Amino acid sequence: MRVVIGEDLFLLREGLVRLLQAHDLEIVAAVGTGPELLDALLTQHPDVAIIDVRLPPSFSDEGLRVALEARRRIPGLPVLVLSQYVEQLYARELLSDQAGGVGYLLKDRVFSDEAFVEALRTVAAGGTVLDPEVIAKLLHRRAGDEPITTLSPREREVLELMAQGRSNGAIAQRLFVSEKAISKHSTAIFIKLGLEPSDDDNRRVLAVLAYLNS
Amino acid sequence: MHQWIAAIAVLALWCGYLVWFALVLRRRLRAAQVPVRPVRPVRERIGALGLDMFLVPVLLGLAGLYGAEWTFPGLFMTGAALAIWTFAPRHVTSKVLPLALVGVGFYGFAVIRAYARGTSWLIRYGVATNGDGSAYPHFVLLQAYLLIAGGLWLLWRRLAPGSLASRLLTMPGSAPGQSRRPRWGLLLLPVVGMVIEMLGWTLWLDTPWWTADFTVAVGLIALVLVFRAPAVAADLALAGMLLLGLYGVALAVWWPVHVPLPSPYTADVRFGTVWVASRVAALLAGVEGLALLSLGLWLLPRAIDDRTRALLRSAADAELAGRVVRLTRTRADAVEGAEAELRRLERDLHDGAQARLVALGMSLRAAERLIPTNPAAASALVAEARESSLKVLTELRDLVRGICPPVLAERGLADAVRALVLDTPLRTDVDIDLPGRPDLPVESACYFAVAEVLANAVKHAAARQAQVRIRHESGRLRITVIDDGAGGADPRRGSGLLGLERRLATFDGVLAVNSPLGGPTIVAIEVPCALSSVKTSSC
Repeated sequence: MRVVIGEDLFLLREGLVRLLQAHDLEIVAAVGTGPELLDALLTQHPDVAIIDVRLPPSFSDEGLRVALEARRRIPGLPVLVLSQYVEQLYARELLSDQAGGVGYLLKDRVFSDEAFVEALRTVAAGGTVLDPEVIAKLLHRRAGDEPITTLSPREREVLELMAQGRSNGAIAQRLFVSEKAISKHSTAIFIKLGLEPSDDDNRRVLAVLAYLNS
Repeated sequence: MHQWIAAIAVLALWCGYLVWFALVLRRRLRAAQVPVRPVRPVRERIGALGLDMFLVPVLLGLAGLYGAEWTFPGLFMTGAALAIWTFAPRHVTSKVLPLALVGVGFYGFAVIRAYARGTSWLIRYGVATNGDGSAYPHFVLLQAYLLIAGGLWLLWRRLAPGSLASRLLTMPGSAPGQSRRPRWGLLLLPVVGMVIEMLGWTLWLDTPWWTADFTVAVGLIALVLVFRAPAVAADLALAGMLLLGLYGVALAVWWPVHVPLPSPYTADVRFGTVWVASRVAALLAGVEGLALLSLGLWLLPRAIDDRTRALLRSAADAELAGRVVRLTRTRADAVEGAEAELRRLERDLHDGAQARLVALGMSLRAAERLIPTNPAAASALVAEARESSLKVLTELRDLVRGICPPVLAERGLADAVRALVLDTPLRTDVDIDLPGRPDLPVESACYFAVAEVLANAVKHAAARQAQVRIRHESGRLRITVIDDGAGGADPRRGSGLLGLERRLATFDGVLAVNSPLGGPTIVAIEVPCALSSVKTSSC
């Protein structure tokens, strides 16, 4: 799998390169500025890109804007955006094209390398991965809403994991129950929220996020 | 029969007036909450009620004295007085009474004139009736002067310090409160002398007997003015000189065609040192008039200059002084606020991140020692250290958010507020239209103000919905936050709103809160600032 990395802090960039190489991923470019990153994305056309939100030269949301621009030019280009903090506003912007292949995680998540690489692979495969903190914020905002309050605690847990972009299998593993039970929960959730049920993992995530974001 | 009906109607009207008066008076007495103290209780009570209370009784009494109490004008006058007293603002009514007194005083002059012309009407004026014989004009004049003097004195007392009228009358000097005496104020005495000589003995009355009253009274008023209100005396002297000068010149030019005076008794005129009875005398009067006119014209620019300068200076001075006071206060607040913020940061870092990093280092050192002997325990310690580093990161993230939210630095106020609203558990309608970005300090203050207001709405007012509107209009950033919560927010009680007010005041910004019990709460923020079109900047 070919990866482009856009991260301005040298230590973190090298750390990411080492981590990904240890997991047999091919790093085709590791750059430190916005313009360089856009150039690398457009010429290399990687399977997935890891992008820091704040990049030089402006040190504002340069990385995010490069990611959006690259996805505008190459629709569906998988990007995993990393940041020291997560904002619902930025998550919305990343998800707005409904094309999938989007990840938005706190930099802290790099600490557990297996989960991180797993997330990277999900994004590369066109899936959607959102940081638990974003999901927590989304749910917090909708906490008082009518359909959400009708969910059982276990269903809420499943909804949260589903929104983070996990498959039924991963959720089952995490909650120590059978995949069939999770499938039952997810059907119940979709009925309660009034959403169209779907077997496709990615489409399911997008539906849930669209619901929470509305 | 008709007469009876009319009489009963009038009587009923009077009773209505009385009840009206009593009701308003009772309400005011209750509202005044006059403290019961042994010292000067009557005066305090009157003071608390307002001088205007006497307006109605005085007019009532006057109506009665003139025998107008049963006539249409008398009834109308009393009704009007009651209405003014009840409905007009207090500062207006408290000036109506003195003005009414002055007006009644001048009416006295008309009464005397009517008497002098030999009217057959029975005219009452205060305690005097024209049946009293030759002493009558004295009584009338005395009362008229007393009424005018009393009215003017009350009016003077009612002038608010610093108002336009009081500044016009007192002419402040270089330092506030110190009044300068224009020297030419003394000229009022000769000017008044000339006026009395010219028309005093013929203006109101026929017999020289009564001129004494007029002359003495006018002279006394002039003396009082010269020594008590030199600025007024100076202005009057100047005006007198100009008018007398013009009159003198007019005499010389038009003689012998009679220059009319406002009195039918003028046969010939005395002007200053001359009795204008011949062509030569008229010319002499013209010379005198010219001299007076030129002196007046020479003084005029000085008087106007001084007056305008004094007026302008006092206005500008007051404004500057107010600005200095405001700046001193807001600067102290800003310094104090920054200091408190730094202290908080120091404390947070010291107790939080720093302490955790120390613990982290110790865990890692312990793990290092355990690796050869007990790899399993060492691995557990390292896992713990990793958890701990996550906590440090979270803490630092919150700290950074408190100093300057990343979205604010990256995107500016509009997107920062949008992001903030997304994180708030309120259904919030956001309407922001900013063509550029304000300065970062202003942006930051406004952002934290909106954040605090929304947090209050959730925490204290249990609001469900909110509305945030941000505009930049005529050089001002205008922010309105409305929520449907319980209301009752008061900047004077909650330290949060007070802090916001202070922080905004550093930028000459203001915060207004309208929050009746039961809601809704409307918070309006206005900060003068310019917008730059720069899209990004760092915190």
